[in-house]
Order: sequence, then structure tokens, then C-alpha cells
Amino acid sequence: MYRSQQLALKYLTAAIALFGIMTIAGLMSAYYYINPNFLFGILNFNIAKILHIDTMIIWLLMGFMGAIYWFLPEEFGRDLVGIKLAEILFYVFCAAVAVVAVVFIVVQHGGSNEMALWFINQGRKYVEAPRWAAVGVVVVMAVFAYNVLGTAYATRKISGITAVLMIDLVPLLVLYLDAFPALSNMSADLFWWWWLVHLWVEATWEVLIGCIMAWTLMQLLGTSRRIVELWLYIEVALVLGTGILGLGHHYFWIGTPGYWLTIGGLFSALEPLPLLGMVIHAIYDAGTHHMKTTNRPAFYWMLAEAFGNFLGGGVWGFMFTLPQVNLYAHGTQWTVSHGHFAFWGAYACAVLSVMYLVIQKLRGLAQVDGRLWKWSFAALNIGVLGMVGALLVAGFAQAFVERAIGGSTHEAYLMGQANPWFVESMITRFIFGIMFAAGYVALVWDFLTIGKRRLVLAAAEAAE
Amino acid sequence: MTEIGLLQSALLLGLYVALAGGYGFAYTLARIHNAIALHRTSFVLYGLHGLTAIAIVVWTPLQIGWKGLIIASSVAFLAIPPVTWRFLQLTHETEVQG
Repeated sequence: MYRSQQLALKYLTAAIALFGIMTIAGLMSAYYYINPNFLFGILNFNIAKILHIDTMIIWLLMGFMGAIYWFLPEEFGRDLVGIKLAEILFYVFCAAVAVVAVVFIVVQHGGSNEMALWFINQGRKYVEAPRWAAVGVVVVMAVFAYNVLGTAYATRKISGITAVLMIDLVPLLVLYLDAFPALSNMSADLFWWWWLVHLWVEATWEVLIGCIMAWTLMQLLGTSRRIVELWLYIEVALVLGTGILGLGHHYFWIGTPGYWLTIGGLFSALEPLPLLGMVIHAIYDAGTHHMKTTNRPAFYWMLAEAFGNFLGGGVWGFMFTLPQVNLYAHGTQWTVSHGHFAFWGAYACAVLSVMYLVIQKLRGLAQVDGRLWKWSFAALNIGVLGMVGALLVAGFAQAFVERAIGGSTHEAYLMGQANPWFVESMITRFIFGIMFAAGYVALVWDFLTIGKRRLVLAAAEAAE
Repeated sequence: MTEIGLLQSALLLGLYVALAGGYGFAYTLARIHNAIALHRTSFVLYGLHGLTAIAIVVWTPLQIGWKGLIIASSVAFLAIPPVTWRFLQLTHETEVQG
């Protein structure tokens, strides 16, 4: 095994651990809606929510890096340039994440000064990590870019997938620099902040996951390189074509010029079209292989990715992306429902698919299957569906009672929060959150044990 | 927009995309299994999608431009499954021949 692949295993292990912390913090955040006094004065809602959304970003990022560190040496036929530096930075990255989490939990907030921005909390959603940690992320991403570009240069071996990946590294790195400014004009600050949040997620991450899925398809179904590269180009072009200016749907009500209503609405409305193409592609692949594969969990998680992306991004997003509806729905639990579903479908399912693929290679399994993965697959996906369904109903109640009827006053806000549809939806969300957590436990147990029993039996037979 | 109009519009828009997805799903399955019943199902789903598009145009208070976009998207949704299918076949066929 290449050293890069050993590093990949570390990244994937860290990712799955952070996935667990994200789940616990998410359950806590959900419980505050049922019992607002929970841990009051000790660990308030805002901190649990920060932990939930920040670990979501970090576990997915580590999952992507793990997947790329796994596939790249096979792609280049050698270990990566600068792998020692990447190994060191992995531990620095993990330590930084731990320190930031401890500061969030123990210190929680500082004053309105530079010191707080540098060492406690930047106060910007998704990039709350203090500046020193944000600098650390830039360094990690720079080394990651060096590993990829340096190896490509050393081998002079650039495939279509690695070419797309290398181009994507530029915006991946440059857009993260948006994590640093602290503009006093709220509109200007949000304008640039969305470049980081939306363009990272709906542009650069989409390309990263496209590359990862291309390698996964080649290994999982034996699809030829020529086909996956052709479809990678088409799908990346379509997703970027609609996704980049789809950024406009975040600019609707933050003080930007009115033309963003048209641009954002138009390009967001086009976003479901390529997602439908991806669903058809996934069904085609599944059908032509008669649902037969040597790694069923990886295959099913890949299918879940295509459907989850279409439902979470396409159907859920289209419900409220047009400005006239968005005026009432923006920032309610409706948005939260869409965010959960889209992140789960587009990214989490894909990372889990890669993890099963890596386990197969790692343990040398001819066939990966069993019962536990089905339980975890069902519990995680039903958990997500239940949560996003409940959040959607809560969002309807907020948009209807608080915004449309109440006119967004403070009193209307309180009425919306007290509405039985909202209250019961929050309880339902928590119950499905518990189901999701159970699915996570089953998933981890499956990762630890799948195929091992068969290996032990094979070893015993060989010994006899 | 009225309070009820808000929820009606949002639900119709969601249904509109979901039915387009259902049509694409059934169409692709029909082609894989060469099943006439699935083919018919796919066109029933597209018919329902078209009816939803008409309902959006007639009943929702969306501006005229967005209604035009809904109709144009419906045409695109109709074409995506057969075009994607044909292209997938073409790429895979040339692969086998190659």
C-alpha cells in the first residue's frame, strides 16, 4: 500500500469520527427546540449548532481528501510528492480541530475585538473557526494542492480526471481566503461570504465529488476511463453552468441589487435539469449491471447519492428558490430542511460509498455484503427523510404563520415558534435524529467488522 | 401572494420537479427492461408533470417570466431522459466496439 493510501485511511477515520461528533451536536441542537432550558448557561444552543455545522464541513472535507489521497497514487502509479509534509499536516489539522472545538465549548465567545477574531470565534456561519485555524486550513489545502500538482508534474501523467481535479484546486484554495475579511458593512460581508459558502459547496465541491465518483465508478463497476471522463466533463459543465450563478438565490434579501432576483431565480431553476441527467445515468449503470456488484454497500450508497442529490437539491430546492416564494421561506426551517437533504445526498452518501470501497481493498475482500450495512443504510436514510420532512413542515408553519400572516414581526415570530405544527415537527425531527444516530452506530460497527469474520474463517480453513 | 397561495405555489413547484424525476426514473427503467407498462407509466408521469405545470401557470401568483421558465423547463424535462439514454448507449456501444 502506498504511503498516500495510509494517509487516506487516517483521513477517512478522522472523517467518520467527526461524522459522529456532528451527529451528537445535531441531536443536541434538535433537543434545544424541545427543551430550551437544556444545558442553559453551560452549553447554549449557539455552540451546539456551531459544532454541528462546522464538523459537517470538516468531516466531508476530510472525507474528500481521504478519497483523493486513496485514488491518486493508483492514478499516477507512484506515491505522492511531498507526502511526508501531508502526513505531518494531518496531525496538525486534527489537533487544530480539537483545540477549536475545546475553545468553542469552554470559552464560547470573546469581545468585539481582533483578539476574539484571531483566537476565539470569527462569528461567521460555517467559518466560525478563529483566524489562526482558518490560516491552518489554507496551509493544509495548499499542501494538498502541492501533493497533487507536484506529482502530476513529476510523472508528466495527467488524465482527464486529474486535469479536472487540478483546475478545481485553484478555486478551492482561493475561495477559502474569503473566510478572513471582517467587513463592517453587513451586506458587503454577506456578499463575499456567500462566495465561500455557496461557491465552495455548489461549485468546487461538486467538481471534487465528480472526480471522486469517476474513480469510484471505474473501480466499483469497471466502467471505462473514457466513459467516466466524458461524463465528468459534461456533468461538471452542466453543474457549474447552473451552480455558479445559482449563487444569486442567496443574494435575494441581503441588500444586493434587484437584478439578482432574476439571475438567482433563473439559474437556480435550471439546477434540477443536470441532476435529473445524473439520476438517469445512475439507473442506467445499475440496470446494465443488473444491480450486481462485488461491493453492494458502496453501490447502494452511490445510488443514494444520485437520488438524494436530485431530491434534496432539485425537488426541495425548487420549492422555494423562486423569489416570490423565497421571500417568505428564506431562513426558516424550510431552508434547514433543504440544506440537510442536499448535503446528505450530494456529499455524505458519496463519501460513505468510497469508504466501503476502501474497506474492500484494505481487507482484500472479493465480495462485500452482509446484513448490518442494510440496517445502517435504512436507518440513516429513513432518519434523514424523517428529519427533512419534519423540518419542511416546521418551515411551512413558519413561512405561513410568521411571515405570510404575521408579517415577520417579533410577535409573529413567537407565534410561529408556538404553532402546534412547528412544535410537533421539532419533536418528530428529534425522534428521527435518534434513528439517524442509531444508523451511525450501526455504520461504524459495520466498518469495523465487515468481511473480518470471513477473513478469520478463511485463515482458519487455510491453517487446517 | 396570499398565505394559502404561498403554500400552494411551493407544493406545486416541488411536485413539478418530483414528477419530472419520476418520469425520468420510469423512462429509464422502461428502456432497461424493455417494458411497455413502464413506458406508459413514464408518460403518465410526464402527463401529470405537464398538468402541474399548467396548474402553476394558471393558479399561482408567480410573475409571467417565471411561468414562461416553467413551461420551457417542462420541454427540457421531456427531452432529458431520451437524449441522455441515447447518449449513454452511444458511449457504451462505441466502448464495446472499441
